[in-house]
Amino acid sequence: MMLTQRRSTSEDLAVLISSAPELGAALDAEQRNSFSTRLRSVPTIQSRRLDAWLVEQAGQTGEAFCWRPRTARRLIGTAAAHRVQRDQRRAHEAVRDVIDDYLFRAVNGQAHFGSLGYWLSSLAPATLGLVVAEATNWCHLLLETREIVSASATLCQADTYYNVSAAQTTLRGRRDMVITETPQRVVIRVRHGTPGKSAGAGLRTDLVIDALGHPEGLSAGRFIGLWPDAGLALSVDGTMENLRAGARDIVRAAVVQRRGLLTVAA
Amino acid sequence: MTNTTTTPLSLATRLRGTPTARPSRDITSAPGLRAQIDDIVASSGLHPTNPLTLRSSSLRSSIRPLESSPLARLRGLLVTTALTLLVHDQHLTDPFEDTMSAWCSNQGEATLLAAFSAADADVQARLRADVRSHVSVLREHLGTFASSWRPQTGVRSVVMLSGGAFVLRDEVDLMVGSVVDANAALSLLDITTAPLGDTADQTLRYHALVQTLRSGVVPLRVALFSTATADCLIRDVDTALLQRAIDDLTTYLSTAAVAA
Repeated sequence: MMLTQRRSTSEDLAVLISSAPELGAALDAEQRNSFSTRLRSVPTIQSRRLDAWLVEQAGQTGEAFCWRPRTARRLIGTAAAHRVQRDQRRAHEAVRDVIDDYLFRAVNGQAHFGSLGYWLSSLAPATLGLVVAEATNWCHLLLETREIVSASATLCQADTYYNVSAAQTTLRGRRDMVITETPQRVVIRVRHGTPGKSAGAGLRTDLVIDALGHPEGLSAGRFIGLWPDAGLALSVDGTMENLRAGARDIVRAAVVQRRGLLTVAA
Repeated sequence: MTNTTTTPLSLATRLRGTPTARPSRDITSAPGLRAQIDDIVASSGLHPTNPLTLRSSSLRSSIRPLESSPLARLRGLLVTTALTLLVHDQHLTDPFEDTMSAWCSNQGEATLLAAFSAADADVQARLRADVRSHVSVLREHLGTFASSWRPQTGVRSVVMLSGGAFVLRDEVDLMVGSVVDANAALSLLDITTAPLGDTADQTLRYHALVQTLRSGVVPLRVALFSTATADCLIRDVDTALLQRAIDDLTTYLSTAAVAA
């Protein structure tokens, strides 16, 4: 399982993208069933969501999620980046438009308790201003990163979701850009901060969820994680070995999460 | 260009300068600087198992800070939050209450908030007046940052060198411009609530160096603005400035080695 590290400059990334393996592995029905069986063997009484972040934290769930300007920035900022590209709008205006849409839905009673729209509708103007600021920062970062990566990179409309209903489990794979002009798909994920020791496991998790979410189970040729704050890029190839390792990490994280919940209940 | 007098033009205007006068984007200096630092780190005996982390504040650690109390830190954070809001066109009705509520909404830990709540009424009132005064100065001198300049606030950097043996951490309050322009276009602004001291130049050099190593592109200029005195120090970034930043690191590492 090779983890490649490069600097996140245009030149290094161009090499990383062009040298992606031409043949990515593919998951067949038997492998999907086997993975589903493994997840079912880790029982849960309520639906759970597993993602790369949980795997990187070794299944240890920290404090409960709550909306903050920082946690809302990616959702709003990415939607705004799409509008900037589609409508040629300024990032700042696009962010305000996206927030207005959320607020409109909340005012019409279409936002349920705990949703982003519901939370936004409860904010004071200054806090809403900070949400705008954080989302605009993310929007600018995403657009600039896209320019650094490649002109052919397309911003992803949404993350990958794969539901294993029999195990009450939803897998969420994070992805920000995809390049389809190379022989194999190259998927890119942008993260704040600096890659830790478990960054490779996180990338493999996103790789396997991306393959599970593909209609034909085709893995991306290369999955690249970008950390602009650190100026680093890490990548994993879409090999069967990496897919297996990613799947194992997900099951392991589910087991640890269950143990943690049982301990709390006891 | 160097200026340490009271700012006649807005910070936005001075940071962006004249687009036609900008030099070409320099992407060749960063690898050389990195190699120099690798040599220095190798001679200092640092190892990834026991990494040394450096921040801009570490460089001036020999000078005792004027104020390092939790409330002084809170003041700095609130003024930085005000900068974030102002850059993104958020109107501030009450500079203290608005920035406080915005800052609290983004925080998980409440140590500073607890310190504020525990302080007596006089101290709280003084902090309120302080923040309003600093934000007023900031608002007067900031100017307008167009969205096309891609302003990003609170930009953090972590640059790992020599396989992680030496880590440079930095946070710039405002970054405008892009690293993909054909000409140098990236400008960095740091805000301080203290007067500009002798180490202001060193801080600017550090920001420029970390940004160069992080992105691989030399920024156009760096600036440090004091909301206490409205003084602004602006430096155009060139190889000489970056070389002096390397010298600062060399001095720091040799001092750290002697202390160890």
